[in-house]
Amino acid sequence: MTLRLYRLFQGLVLLFLGIFLLVKIVSGKLIWYINQRFVPLTVLAVIALAVIGVTLLDEIRRTAGNQGPHLEGQDHPQDEEEARDGHEHAPSRWRLVLILIPLAIGILVPAQPLTADAMNSKGVNASAPALASGSSVVKFDQAADERNILDWLRLFGSKDDPGTYLGQDANVIGFVYHDPRLKDGQFLVSRFALVCCAADAFAVGMVVEWPQSAALPNDQWVKVKGPVEAINLEDQKLPLIQAKLVEPVKIPDQPYLFP
Amino acid sequence: MMASSTQSRSRIRPWVIVILSCILFLIVLSQMPSVISLSQVGKKMGVFATVFLGIFIEAVPFLLLGTISSGFVEAFLNQSQITRVIPRKAVGGALTGSMMGLAFPVCECGVVPLTRRLFSKGLTVSAGIAFLLAAPVINPIVIFSTAAAFGWGWMLVGRVGLTLVMAVVIGIIFSVVKSPSAILLSPKWVYKDPLENPMTPPAVPRKSFMEKFHQMAVIAGDEFFEMGRFLVLGAAIAAGMQTLIPQRVMLQLGHGPITSVLVMLALAVILSICSTVDAFVVLGFVGTFSPGAILAFLIFGPMVDIKTTIMYFSVFKKRTVLYLILLPLLMSLLAGLAINAFALGGI
Repeated sequence: MTLRLYRLFQGLVLLFLGIFLLVKIVSGKLIWYINQRFVPLTVLAVIALAVIGVTLLDEIRRTAGNQGPHLEGQDHPQDEEEARDGHEHAPSRWRLVLILIPLAIGILVPAQPLTADAMNSKGVNASAPALASGSSVVKFDQAADERNILDWLRLFGSKDDPGTYLGQDANVIGFVYHDPRLKDGQFLVSRFALVCCAADAFAVGMVVEWPQSAALPNDQWVKVKGPVEAINLEDQKLPLIQAKLVEPVKIPDQPYLFP
Repeated sequence: MMASSTQSRSRIRPWVIVILSCILFLIVLSQMPSVISLSQVGKKMGVFATVFLGIFIEAVPFLLLGTISSGFVEAFLNQSQITRVIPRKAVGGALTGSMMGLAFPVCECGVVPLTRRLFSKGLTVSAGIAFLLAAPVINPIVIFSTAAAFGWGWMLVGRVGLTLVMAVVIGIIFSVVKSPSAILLSPKWVYKDPLENPMTPPAVPRKSFMEKFHQMAVIAGDEFFEMGRFLVLGAAIAAGMQTLIPQRVMLQLGHGPITSVLVMLALAVILSICSTVDAFVVLGFVGTFSPGAILAFLIFGPMVDIKTTIMYFSVFKKRTVLYLILLPLLMSLLAGLAINAFALGGI
């Protein structure tokens, strides 16, 4: 592979990568992979990829007068090293293939947020004790029906008097997960929370008491309403919703919670 | 070298190919989901893909920052500017090197290509190794993110202080190696001694800003490819392990003052998360793990994880990589155990 062909390959891959990220940003699916607070960084990365990609493609024109990889670099002495560098590695197919893997996986595997299938490897952090102790402030004055699952768990993790929030009506959205530790007629309404990216995602959930729960398949997104109680599950104090209403809903635009 | 094919290709206008390929790629990207459904590839594969792309997408901006910094150093700084600033002596070099991250805010993905570039600009072994290990923590972004997660308290002090101590000590240990050529894979990356062409810099015509910018972008692109493939490999291994080994198994392994440190060290390696955000991630473990284990995670993770280890192997000789893993591992382990002994009153 000549240096010019390699430059063409590099430039195209960088542009493709930029397009791939841009499509994820525009379609709103980027937050299936990373915390929303890193989206601006990805936008900057798309710009950088475009600039670098176009520059590498422009190299093809700039080196047009030279014979392939043997740049003597009259105008750019430093390019000589880069040219040799590029040429030495260019025949190595591995370098070319590996960088294509993210694009290939991104194209071939349908995009999906983490679901109940990931529970097996991630596990459920139903107590989320640390979430209450960290920098995240527990919002006590939040209206009960505005709290999401994470807010409820933070309340339960805080050392505040449970009397202030027990019995309040919860109104939360999450996906169904049939945790094997639960009794019949119960399921877990869950969300994944992630701080950085899907690699550190952890599941949070509230137990729901609902007679027809066996009819709900894993991963079905539901809205759950009902008063909140506290139960003990394997020595963990957990919130339980005595559901008055469980209705299937569409997957939210933002499937994860960002602590 | 395949002159005939090169010449025939030069007739084709590259930009037409480029634009057509980009459009084609967009079409493939938008049509593929309707061709393949998730049930065909398997649900485990779906989880793997999401975790893998999560690590990769999150790391790309930081890797670009590192390779662009490297290009910047090559294009805009000359060797005498660097060799003049960094002390040649081991202790001074290691101290300066460990603080250089304040000027180059790179995380552990970006620091590898940048360190290699700085070696070619005349950095000493001690300074380079100290920079390599310290920069992912001792930089403004990471200090602020750690403070945001833990507050301006002893956890931040412990992280910054212990990282500095470890990086300086390991930098000094590496001073037994006299030349970077002894630890680097390729002799090409080593700075040629200025005594060979004394006083005057090589007769390079002064370049315009645009030319320097162009050079910076080309280097950034080349190194993105070079380092990017190791990021891909590391992200794939990390995502694979996460998909196959339930995190629950790891977490149940240990809550004691010793085992918790070991588990968090292992987790730091497996999770392979960027040092700019690991403080937020570890926050989720504060309640369940001992303080020494949390701190060990925060100092060891930025120095060694799956993706950086693979990147190290691409730049350094095997023995060097071994030391770059073992020394931080032993020191983080000792630090974690010592803190637990101190904080929890004996092991």
